[in-house]
Amino acid sequence: MRELELYFGPQHLGMVGNFSITLKVEGDRVLEARANPGYLHRGFEKLMEYRTWMQNFPMVCRINVVEPDSMEMIYAMAVEKLANIQVPERANYVRSIYLELARVGSHLFGLWAYANMLGFDTVAQWAMYHRDLVLDLFEELTGGRVYHIYIWPGGVRRDFPPGFEDKVVNTLHSIGGCVPDYDATFFNNRLFYERANGIGKISREQAKQWGATGQTLRATGMKFDIRKVEPYAAYDKVDWDVPVRENGDAYSRVWVIRDEMIESVHMIFKLLDAMPEGPVYNRVPNPFKWKIPKGEAYVRCESSRGELGLYMVSSGGDKPYRVHFRTPSYPNGLILLEKLLKNASIADVGNIMISLYVVAPEIDR
Amino acid sequence: MINSLRQKLEATFKDIRIAIPEESRIVVTAENDGVPAILRYLKDLGLDHLALISAVDWIEENCLELCFILTSYMQNDDEVTGRQKLHIILKTSIPREKPKFKTVIGIFPNAEPYEREIHELFGIKFEGHPRLTPLLLEREYQIPPFRKDFDTRKYVKEVFDKIPSVEIEEK
Repeated sequence: MRELELYFGPQHLGMVGNFSITLKVEGDRVLEARANPGYLHRGFEKLMEYRTWMQNFPMVCRINVVEPDSMEMIYAMAVEKLANIQVPERANYVRSIYLELARVGSHLFGLWAYANMLGFDTVAQWAMYHRDLVLDLFEELTGGRVYHIYIWPGGVRRDFPPGFEDKVVNTLHSIGGCVPDYDATFFNNRLFYERANGIGKISREQAKQWGATGQTLRATGMKFDIRKVEPYAAYDKVDWDVPVRENGDAYSRVWVIRDEMIESVHMIFKLLDAMPEGPVYNRVPNPFKWKIPKGEAYVRCESSRGELGLYMVSSGGDKPYRVHFRTPSYPNGLILLEKLLKNASIADVGNIMISLYVVAPEIDR
Repeated sequence: MINSLRQKLEATFKDIRIAIPEESRIVVTAENDGVPAILRYLKDLGLDHLALISAVDWIEENCLELCFILTSYMQNDDEVTGRQKLHIILKTSIPREKPKFKTVIGIFPNAEPYEREIHELFGIKFEGHPRLTPLLLEREYQIPPFRKDFDTRKYVKEVFDKIPSVEIEEK
């Protein structure tokens, strides 16, 4: 049969995001896949070298459009480490609650993309609606729906408004009340099982070798979660568990995402109960004159996609000398995707890509 | 654990400098030729997760610095030990003129896109890399754009000011 070159994206119905894959196909079998990022390369890491430590915040959150919050967190963590700033106890709890809300919102977005791609349009609409409810909470808390710029070095921008805790609880209860519906229509649906079982399967050794983290690794049975292995914010203050699955395929990955959402909701309830009173913000020096001592730091946190790292170098000035983000979509989108698409069928390309949870702006930066 | 690792490294390799700036971080500085052997040794010791390869342009010292950041996965499925908190930054300096370095894909397969990106943005040529094609950028640049002597404002002026402005005809 004749070999063809097939362009999958950036304008393609099966592609979510600014990303493209060049496929070499024979019949409907993929012989070789090449990922082409760069459609959304804005050079943020270079631009940050021209702006002061605090001026960078509006750019940091734009690196990942779906979940900007862990980006703020990681940048604030790096600055705090370099400048040796302490965070008040209550701010740690607020940060954790905020990040878990963001995780729920981001996973619902992922569920929308995945269900939409498989043709479960009803489930996709539900997920989008429920994500909107989470965004409403963010709007009340920070003033912005998508980009929040809420976490700052030294704490968070402001405390919860009056009555906010109850709204969080009510919203999460109304989303959680729909879990049986989601299960019946999607997760326990035979169609979903048939479509996702055994697709894009990797072993634990392969996952480790290709630098996978997050759901991709946890779907192979390893309980590797930065919130557990190197706790930050208030994740070591409450009791919670890391959901895992064993099979390492698309089906397992999506189930890990589902279990993680439920675990996050339980964690938010526990954090709200345990949250102490007090200030949420330690003053930092005047941002226009703020010079941070010479040094370097590598910090990491668990974003909704896996290990998010930041390597930051300060040369003692009022601007960062070098900023480099290690985003979880980078190994997923550029290594794992190319390897897993080999010998897959064309109908599974979108399936594998979305189950790996690739977000293109994160790769391009 | 961190001190025993330090002793092991010092006993095995010559010409390396080791600093421990904080409890969970070791910074190892080595010569270019020694890096693959050290990476292999650390991987065998259990630091099996290459989290990031980064580069920094130290223009005043006239060198580019490559940083390999290594952490470790879990040994068992769910046992969290102090080992996973530890991270090692392995550094090496490369001259800014005609910079080149031997690829480490043979040791860590996930180094491939990182090396491609550094080749594109910093101009370091990785010898033995199978695919040093452009990753993120669409144009050719005389100076690799992430180097400190690349002036973004000057570049924007030179490139985009040449594009003629659109004249709107008035009816």
